[in-house]
Amino acid sequence: MKRGNRRRQYLLPVLASALLLVLAACAAPVQETGDVAAEGGPSGGQIVLRVGTGDSGEGLKPHQEIIRRFEAANPDIKVQLEPVSGSDYYARLLTQIVADDAPDIMNIGDDAVPQFVAAEAFLPLDDFIAGDDSLDTSVYLPGLLEPGQWDGRQWFLPKDYSPLGVYYNKKIFDEYGVAYPEAGWTWDDLVAIAGELTKDTDGDGTTDLWGIQLPGPWTTGFEYWVAAAGGSLISEDGSTFIGYMDSPETTAAVQFYQDLYQTYKVAPLPADMSAFGGGNSEFDNGQAAMRIFGRWPQSGMLENPNIDLGVVGTPADAVDANVLFWGGFGIYSGTEYPEAAWRFLKFYAGPEGAEVWQDWALPAVASVAEEAGLNDDPIEGAWLGELDRLVPRAYVFTPYWGQAADPALRRVLETVILDPGADAAELTAAAAQEAQAALETAQEE
Amino acid sequence: MTRATQLPDEPNWKRRARLQHWLATAILVIVAAIFLLPLIWMLSSSLKPEYQVFEMPPRLIPHPVRWQNYREALTYVPFGRYSFNTAFITLMVIVGHVLSCTLVAYGFARLRAPGRDTLFILVLATLMLPYPVTMAPLYVLFNRLGWVNTFLPLIVPAYFGSAFYIFLLRQFFLRIPNELEDAARIDGANLAQILYRIILPLSMPAIATVAIFTFQFTWNDFLTPLIYLHDQRLYTVALGLNFFRSSFQVNWAYLMAASLVTMLPVLVVFFLAQRLFIQGISVSGIKG
Amino acid sequence: MFEFSASALPAVYLFVMAASHSIKRRETVAFYLCISPWIIGFLLFVLGPMLASLWMSFHRWDLLRDPRFIGLANYQRLFREDPLFWQSLRVTLTYTLLYVPTELIGGLVLALLMNQRVRGISIFRTIFYLPSVLAGVAFVVVWMWLLHPEAGLVNAFLGLFGIPGPRWLTDPHTALYALWLMSIWGLGRTAIIYLAGLKDIPLALYEAAAIDGAGQGRSFLSITLPMLTPTIFFNLVLSIISTFQTFTSAFVATNGGPLDSTLFYVLYIYRNAFQTFQMGYASALAWVLFVIILLLTLLVVRSARSWVYYGGGSE
Repeated sequence: MKRGNRRRQYLLPVLASALLLVLAACAAPVQETGDVAAEGGPSGGQIVLRVGTGDSGEGLKPHQEIIRRFEAANPDIKVQLEPVSGSDYYARLLTQIVADDAPDIMNIGDDAVPQFVAAEAFLPLDDFIAGDDSLDTSVYLPGLLEPGQWDGRQWFLPKDYSPLGVYYNKKIFDEYGVAYPEAGWTWDDLVAIAGELTKDTDGDGTTDLWGIQLPGPWTTGFEYWVAAAGGSLISEDGSTFIGYMDSPETTAAVQFYQDLYQTYKVAPLPADMSAFGGGNSEFDNGQAAMRIFGRWPQSGMLENPNIDLGVVGTPADAVDANVLFWGGFGIYSGTEYPEAAWRFLKFYAGPEGAEVWQDWALPAVASVAEEAGLNDDPIEGAWLGELDRLVPRAYVFTPYWGQAADPALRRVLETVILDPGADAAELTAAAAQEAQAALETAQEE
Repeated sequence: MTRATQLPDEPNWKRRARLQHWLATAILVIVAAIFLLPLIWMLSSSLKPEYQVFEMPPRLIPHPVRWQNYREALTYVPFGRYSFNTAFITLMVIVGHVLSCTLVAYGFARLRAPGRDTLFILVLATLMLPYPVTMAPLYVLFNRLGWVNTFLPLIVPAYFGSAFYIFLLRQFFLRIPNELEDAARIDGANLAQILYRIILPLSMPAIATVAIFTFQFTWNDFLTPLIYLHDQRLYTVALGLNFFRSSFQVNWAYLMAASLVTMLPVLVVFFLAQRLFIQGISVSGIKG
Repeated sequence: MFEFSASALPAVYLFVMAASHSIKRRETVAFYLCISPWIIGFLLFVLGPMLASLWMSFHRWDLLRDPRFIGLANYQRLFREDPLFWQSLRVTLTYTLLYVPTELIGGLVLALLMNQRVRGISIFRTIFYLPSVLAGVAFVVVWMWLLHPEAGLVNAFLGLFGIPGPRWLTDPHTALYALWLMSIWGLGRTAIIYLAGLKDIPLALYEAAAIDGAGQGRSFLSITLPMLTPTIFFNLVLSIISTFQTFTSAFVATNGGPLDSTLFYVLYIYRNAFQTFQMGYASALAWVLFVIILLLTLLVVRSARSWVYYGGGSE
């Protein structure tokens, strides 16, 4: 430790400071682009619009294509897409809203609409729709505007959507000489067909071909079964679950779901309870004849050599019913450029955007679907036809659905899937009480 | 592990040692096979066509083998750019942690002062508050500083120490015999010299651990970049991996392929850094 | 500017050193200078958000509208009206009891394996560490496969011994054990910390013991273990804290189910914060957790005085 070495002890601090300077330099340019966006208002050159979406990966391609076309037509606006996939999307969005730093245009799923609107996070679109740069909302297919409405106003325009449908594998039906399900079929038909196609092909005492793959404890999907049985989960004024979630109709739906798993044994038990899918893969493997779900995995099924795909609408019981899953775009209430945001939104959700969307998903605009011949397509036509059978989902009646009722309903479904001896009526009665108590806690304002 | 070479009864010992060596190798192989199992499944499914990923019963050897999954997965998302971003952030964070945590840990381990033990509990306490509730306030803070959409919120905090590594290093520093330090002090070394010449060289395994962990956590960190990076050009590898999942659809084969590839840098760094453990043994072996 | 002050500390320290006289005071000043980066960081980045979350816990706040003060109502609801609070606490504590011993003992065993002098040991080390690198969504999903009730490898293995495999993730009685089983593959991380500790034990001690005629088992008990106690203490505290923070595996594999049997505490907090937008309530939950972990940690730290051995240091 001689004097000459002493200088070296300053080395680390100096090095660290130098690194931090480099750091600041590296970070600075990025920040500047942000600042340009903030300062370059409508008069001062290009506006940068931030668009938040929960899509990712392949799902970003239509966004990028629409943005490319929009920027070509609107050179004064630059669109910055900010994708966040899946379950963490709202966590980021909420954080940004708290900091008043949210994207100008945001993508919201149907059941989050009441909460975000009630919290005034979005601008109502009615004035834009009727304004100078107006939008003809009659272009949309039936049922696609309603999920974006709350309190009688339009807050969101449709981005993408899917009703439920029943996929069936023609290979399996042909092999066993069973007729394909047809529109207008019923729950009884479902049990009959699924029963015929549930088989122990190798005689080892375990089923290896299943009639239908069900989506496990997926609560939002379950609303279809309740609606088809003629029930609903909540009163229309959103005040009570008693008499609804425990009604004979709801109980019948739960009972039927349980029977499919446990009594008729035509549905494979889920391998995990993680998500809506219930972790089953039998349909993809050619080991289940039917599957009830949304349109999302369809493109993969069309490429799957195990499957010769057909699609039919949901079977009816007491009522002809289906439910819609929907995502929409709205304008952030804190945006600096509402006019520019509207221009983009109109482009995106209007006919121009639908033109692009039709290559990726069902377009929302009727004329685009018509021109693409989708109505006559045996598969896409089946999906589009379901839009005429929609019933409202429970979240439209209360902003507290997710908080109060969803956990209770989920418990009911998990129980009937797990426990053949569970009593459906007891379960729904308990769930209604639990949901009601939670609703009242939530409403104590 | 033990220096048995110096035991007196040579032949008997030799036989036992050889036996022990083989036994150890056998156990290592078995345990390694168990630990490799999930990886083998990942590898297998990364080479399958998507529709075979969940095949029942599962097959280990994919047929057909889709090597193009790797090419497609890696072009699907701009991993080159994302890797560069992630590497830059990771490097900066490692430097920050090593610099700041060694200093702070040294203070807690070696210097006596009123309030030290209370402060140390406070250090531990900062590990205990779950992130969902501090996330929003922290974002507000960084947003005010104008740091959102830059790498700064990911890097700068590292220069102020991290409770986990402070604790880790403190535990190691505490074990170093005082005599070494006293001897240096008698030689006229000051605190900085003691820290950088004596304590740190003796703690290479611990510092390697800090570097490895920092590398791994920063490389894989999902939530912090998710919250703070908005511009896609700034995204990290972990954010890119998430592109294969959307709310209703996951491309498993691609996700597995990309997960494996983006894991490689961490493995390489680990493989290289673990040599520091060997270095540590010789240093403390001589001086201890 | 904060950055500068932090990194220039050693220089500042030298300056102050030269100025101060009393040894005791010098040491105090040195201590506070050394830890000042952490103090500054704490004041800047940690204290604010911590206090903000405490403040939020006395409010009703959906993150979107203005927060409303409701006093202790969140805490009241949590203790008196919310069965899920107790359930998540029960789940988390059960998991802690399962996991902490596994991590402490399993990690040590693995570290001893990693410490063998065998050819290719660096490759073995890398293999053991590998699963902890992979711990993310993809890894959890692979486990969901391995635990598949009909086609999973785990049940196939059990079948070899004639044991009927459980339905793991879909059975409320086994789901938590399934997650525990998964966690064993992450032991490499703990083992690395142990390994660093093992490598730090002076060989001279073993040499001395060998000369005294101590066998391997004896030198393990009388040298390795005592010398390792600081590392064991570290792993104990950290594994307690981290089990209380378990999130990803439950979030991906079970989403808290079936029947809330894997509803980990932090998962429940996350749900309240970002899925049902009850940030105030989530903050109250977080602070209760904070106090619980803090008390547990204090208990461990207090007990450490009697069993942790430091070779040097000033404890």
